[in-house]
Amino acid sequence: MVHGLKNMSDQQKEQNSIPTTKVQRSAKFVSTGFKIGGNYIKHYSKKLFNPELNNDELNSDNAADIYESLSELKGSALKVAQMLSMDKNLLPKAYVDKFSLSQYNAPPLSGPLIVQTFRKLFGKTPEQIYDKFELRSTNAASIGQVHRAELKGKKLAVKIQYPGVGDSISSDLKLVKPFAFRLLGMSEKELDIYMNEVEERLLEETDYDLEVRRSIEFSEACANLNNVVFPKYFPELSGKRVITMSWLEGVHLKEFLQTNPSQELRNQIGQALWDFYNFQQHELRAVHADPHPGNFLITPEGKLGVIDFGCIKEMPDDFYYPFFSTTSSDLLESKEETIKAFRQLEMILPKDNPQQVEFYYTMYKEMIGLFAKPYVKDTFDFSQSEFFDKLYAYGEKIAKMPEFKQARGVKHFIYVNRTNFGLYNILHELKAEVKTDTYKPHVLLEY
Amino acid sequence: MATKQSIQKAYIDYVLTEGEQPKSVYIFAKKNKMTEAEFYNFFGSFDAIEQSVWTDMATTTLAEIKTQEVWPQYTSREKALSFFYSFFEHAKSHRSFATYSAKKINKGFSTPKVWEGLKAEFEAFSIVILQDGIESGELTDRKFFAERYKDALWVQFVFTLNFWINDMSSGFEKTDEAIEKGINVTFDLFQRSPIDNLIDYGKFLAKNSGIKEKMGF
Repeated sequence: MVHGLKNMSDQQKEQNSIPTTKVQRSAKFVSTGFKIGGNYIKHYSKKLFNPELNNDELNSDNAADIYESLSELKGSALKVAQMLSMDKNLLPKAYVDKFSLSQYNAPPLSGPLIVQTFRKLFGKTPEQIYDKFELRSTNAASIGQVHRAELKGKKLAVKIQYPGVGDSISSDLKLVKPFAFRLLGMSEKELDIYMNEVEERLLEETDYDLEVRRSIEFSEACANLNNVVFPKYFPELSGKRVITMSWLEGVHLKEFLQTNPSQELRNQIGQALWDFYNFQQHELRAVHADPHPGNFLITPEGKLGVIDFGCIKEMPDDFYYPFFSTTSSDLLESKEETIKAFRQLEMILPKDNPQQVEFYYTMYKEMIGLFAKPYVKDTFDFSQSEFFDKLYAYGEKIAKMPEFKQARGVKHFIYVNRTNFGLYNILHELKAEVKTDTYKPHVLLEY
Repeated sequence: MATKQSIQKAYIDYVLTEGEQPKSVYIFAKKNKMTEAEFYNFFGSFDAIEQSVWTDMATTTLAEIKTQEVWPQYTSREKALSFFYSFFEHAKSHRSFATYSAKKINKGFSTPKVWEGLKAEFEAFSIVILQDGIESGELTDRKFFAERYKDALWVQFVFTLNFWINDMSSGFEKTDEAIEKGINVTFDLFQRSPIDNLIDYGKFLAKNSGIKEKMGF
């Protein structure tokens, strides 16, 4: 029915205490470390008696413990959890299922703090600014919450950010690092490149002034897309920690699917999503990089409402061309040019020997072949599980290969992968069939 | 004609410019073109002026928050939060004076003289909201401890005040965080908690399971 993520009343676990200082936060992580150690012991002792046991239970135990500690930390750690959960291709399924919960959990700001936030920003209380303002928020997002308001007969959604989120991002990320090592199996140096990229995006997300500017920019640029609607933003009623926008009526994906929508309607929403993302990727070269279901609404008219522009990933040409060109079979036909493109993307490194070049060429070609499947013909049916099973299987396969212990690929992959796999996942949940030739990648054949 | 406000203002101006109290009431009165008698009509000493500035900060805050439309809907917890936020928002315009006055205070266990009026206001307010909270069931009525709740709030207030004086974050955002987290923890402790249930269970067992006899009480 509403903006934001979920009803607080059915929060998984009420959080009465948030560890505040860095020492406390570290303690939280340390205890998680112990628990995970415990899980391994539990797993291997069980395995002694039952050699058939697979890793699912272990993964799921670990994920539950990490999730528990992350969701008590809030803020940026939570964002990292969300991000990991979007990267379904990287993580075993059990981690993913638990991490997805983090997209739906945050303790509310107190009423007086909201009043205080407004007074600091505007010198007025919310009731002096709006004709009506609901002090109790029904919806939470990971770094803020959404309130209903009314002004001059117009319904509004007001997003308010928790104080001190920006401050704790860097220190939170440092704390997440050891877990990222374990989960992703990377070395510190490699991880730093990616962590910095994540930190940059997260810091941008806490900048509500920037978000308002971008929201206006993107909603104007995308105004002509079919069946995609945006709220109207009110810069004069927005600031560092508050965003005011018009209220979009609609339901989230999950509720939408519960209403048993017709195939036609599902296709329409799926098409809108596809167009929205691919128009941005291929025409704007900057993309809404947070495709998790909470950022979308399906309106009663069967349109796609986009309500959050916090995370934008810009794609420089030296990433865009080599990456998206490999999705075209014309380029893949030339092995030489493909390898050149892979080199530019740092998927093949200068120090690789000929066997390694051959190996990574084959593996990445397989990956890109999978990724580009939807682009091959003019339509693609996302309802088929086969495609996704292959994707997961590929992810699990490379996760086990020692050759992929070392991370490869330029930093831009993090958000671009997250965006596209996120999109594919939503389309899969929608079971939509979409025309994939509406906005096509621009291809460069020589490198 | 001197008023309470004009004397306060002149006094604050003096101490912030000079960094210390005037040598005598005589000098202060003369400098501000009033008679000593006029001064004593309002205040008995310079410390009394300082005390009144602090007290006024509390009374203005209370008057202000109670006019907010949402006030009656607030729970006790929210009323406490609202007081803290508004107090420090209001105190911003007196920050130099507050810093000057608070830094003079000797750290000790008794309430400093200049905060006596402030404490009285704060306590009166605390007692009312705590009582309301206990009556509505929001807070737990515990023997002995419930009477001490107000002291816990005062300790927290003094702590937050010191935190704010040393807070260098922009817009005193850290103070906001300290308030939000601190008050929530304190009120969580005031609420019914597992400890209450544990004690309750212990009492029950002591009465009904014959532990007393077995342990020879």
